[in-house]
Amino acid sequence: MRKQWLSSVLPVVVVATFAATAALAQSVDTARIESAGQNDWLTYHGSYKSHHYSPLAQINASNVGNLSVAWTHIPGRSTRGLQSMPLVADGVLYYSGSYSRVFALNGATGEVIWSFFPELDEALISRQTHSPYNRGVALGEGKVFVGTMDGRVFGLDAKTGKVLWESRLIDSQKLTVGFTGAPLYAKGSVIIGAQGGEWPGRGPIFALDAATGKKKWEFLTVAGTEEAMKTWGNESWRTGGGGGWMPGTYDSETNTILWGTANPAPLYDWSGPDYKTQGARPGDNLYTTSVIGLDIDTGKLKFYHQELPHDAWDFDSSVGEFVMLERDGQKYVVHPNKGGFVFVYDRNLKVKNVWRLVENINFVKDIDPKTGALIGRRDFPVGKVTEPPLCPFIGGGISWNAGSYSPKTGLYYKIGQEWCMTLDIQKTTPVTTPQAQLNIGADFKMVPPPGGEIYGHLDARDPITGAKKWEVRYPEPPLGSVLSTAGNLVFVPDSRGVLHAYDAETGAELWKHNNGTGHQGGIVSYSVGGKQYIAVTAGFGGMLADEYAPNFGGVYKSMPRDDGALVVFSLK
Amino acid sequence: MRLPCKTILAGLGASLVWAAMAQAQSATPAPENAAFEVEQVFAGTCGFCHSDGGRAAGKGPQLMNSPRDDAFIRDRIKHGKQGAMPAFDGAFTDAQIDQMIKYIRALKPRDG
Repeated sequence: MRKQWLSSVLPVVVVATFAATAALAQSVDTARIESAGQNDWLTYHGSYKSHHYSPLAQINASNVGNLSVAWTHIPGRSTRGLQSMPLVADGVLYYSGSYSRVFALNGATGEVIWSFFPELDEALISRQTHSPYNRGVALGEGKVFVGTMDGRVFGLDAKTGKVLWESRLIDSQKLTVGFTGAPLYAKGSVIIGAQGGEWPGRGPIFALDAATGKKKWEFLTVAGTEEAMKTWGNESWRTGGGGGWMPGTYDSETNTILWGTANPAPLYDWSGPDYKTQGARPGDNLYTTSVIGLDIDTGKLKFYHQELPHDAWDFDSSVGEFVMLERDGQKYVVHPNKGGFVFVYDRNLKVKNVWRLVENINFVKDIDPKTGALIGRRDFPVGKVTEPPLCPFIGGGISWNAGSYSPKTGLYYKIGQEWCMTLDIQKTTPVTTPQAQLNIGADFKMVPPPGGEIYGHLDARDPITGAKKWEVRYPEPPLGSVLSTAGNLVFVPDSRGVLHAYDAETGAELWKHNNGTGHQGGIVSYSVGGKQYIAVTAGFGGMLADEYAPNFGGVYKSMPRDDGALVVFSLK
Repeated sequence: MRLPCKTILAGLGASLVWAAMAQAQSATPAPENAAFEVEQVFAGTCGFCHSDGGRAAGKGPQLMNSPRDDAFIRDRIKHGKQGAMPAFDGAFTDAQIDQMIKYIRALKPRDG
């Protein structure tokens, strides 16, 4: 491979001389993502339906025992592991690593077609906490789109990796945060949400012109409308947090972007029960911890549901896919919340049902399945929270990686996490100068659920009713995404480093392989030249993974948190 | 055990005036009081990684009874560690960082 080293002031793009495969690529457009061709994986959630499901069945329950490593790719500089979701179009696999490094690889052989290493503001990144990982790219109109931690989005030529445009969207020097989530491409726009949550900002979501990178619109998840402004007492909206740090999806029938928003800051308010009038941010704090529907052309809010009004627990709605499915003539959207509940909506985000994925939940007694109203919420004053501890732990009953819905089995495969935390709630003041700092609002510690042990589980459930068909348990919660396929298989990359394949109907383990380090990123399937592949990112470290060594010991004590690999499997 | 709030009076005046001016120019409301309360700062920022107020290991190491000397801790707070800890030299003054070290040295197990 010939390397072309450019000036140090420019992003480094290395282009192979044999980019013939990419030259054959057809452009990815909205219709193609909508139809989700079986050989490809064109957007973060697989298609706009967000099933994280592959209709490929060459690898199946009868032959998965013959699955073995076809090739691997080492991205280098995998600080805090490898967390991204690979994408595949026309035999080319695109994926990102830490520091927004992007690679285009031959999907059959792993040969590098091009790579892109953006020059980032390293001094800024050294002052960030939720950094320097990157969770994926988007494809559209012959381009690859990627965000950076210093507040930019790049549009790259999908054939060469050359920078076609660069757009700076956030003043990360002031706000500290940038972009770690994958963008979404739809209808000529690139949609991306900023980090936020515990960071004192207003959590914008942006739409850019895919052709030019020019900003089309911006929606503020904190007090983005007059109605919302009234839900932040004492002008607390100025430092409200919010954001939309994981990609949502696009509903072409309603011309709407569906997006999940992050929690407000501080995470743990000291208001006590009078949260409407007391504490750090009196009121419901719209549109944090919500699912929102934005007109893709204008960015105007069309509808929303706030899953947790005045979220006082950091159980935001940024996590989770928007699974679109139909049953008995009804169209549904299924969206998990970090608190451990799964919300079922119609296409206008009206609540149709709410069910529990997780056993250990006590931040509320329940959520009304008909209205979505919280029942028996726990709002803490200043002081200790120990008896009982708060459940789930700050890592959530559900984390940010994706579950999978199989239209073949009709089951939704999703990871649940059983753990809790003690807290010491304190009054804090937002720090916004000279550079914004975290605003947590408590000291805390992971503890087991009352009377039980910490564990994780893969559930196979009816996505509408929540009825459980089977469950597989793990000693520590898996943190990677889940993949189901038409081969009657469910793949789970676990935290210890083992990739499991289960029978999608029964949960029986059919195959496993140790990738040598923990998983906390994506897994996809695709086909090149008539051969099916499974691609998974391995590499541990980050906001949740960093808790594993001190709390669980064992293999995590020596597990690197600055390493990673893309591992691709096929039948022998 | 709850530590008494540590308030820096002398030595911080200039930086606090500067900070107050910066606050006034920004859209952010001024804090309720301009004192630097280390326990509050820890719960706002540091405690995200150093569990239980620094008494237990979390994403970051346990700080209570740390074998590291003050110079090491000061350097780590100021300059961070790539991929593990942010650098806070732009966020906090030397005097404020000294207060954090005092907080760390005073950490005791919680009652009960």
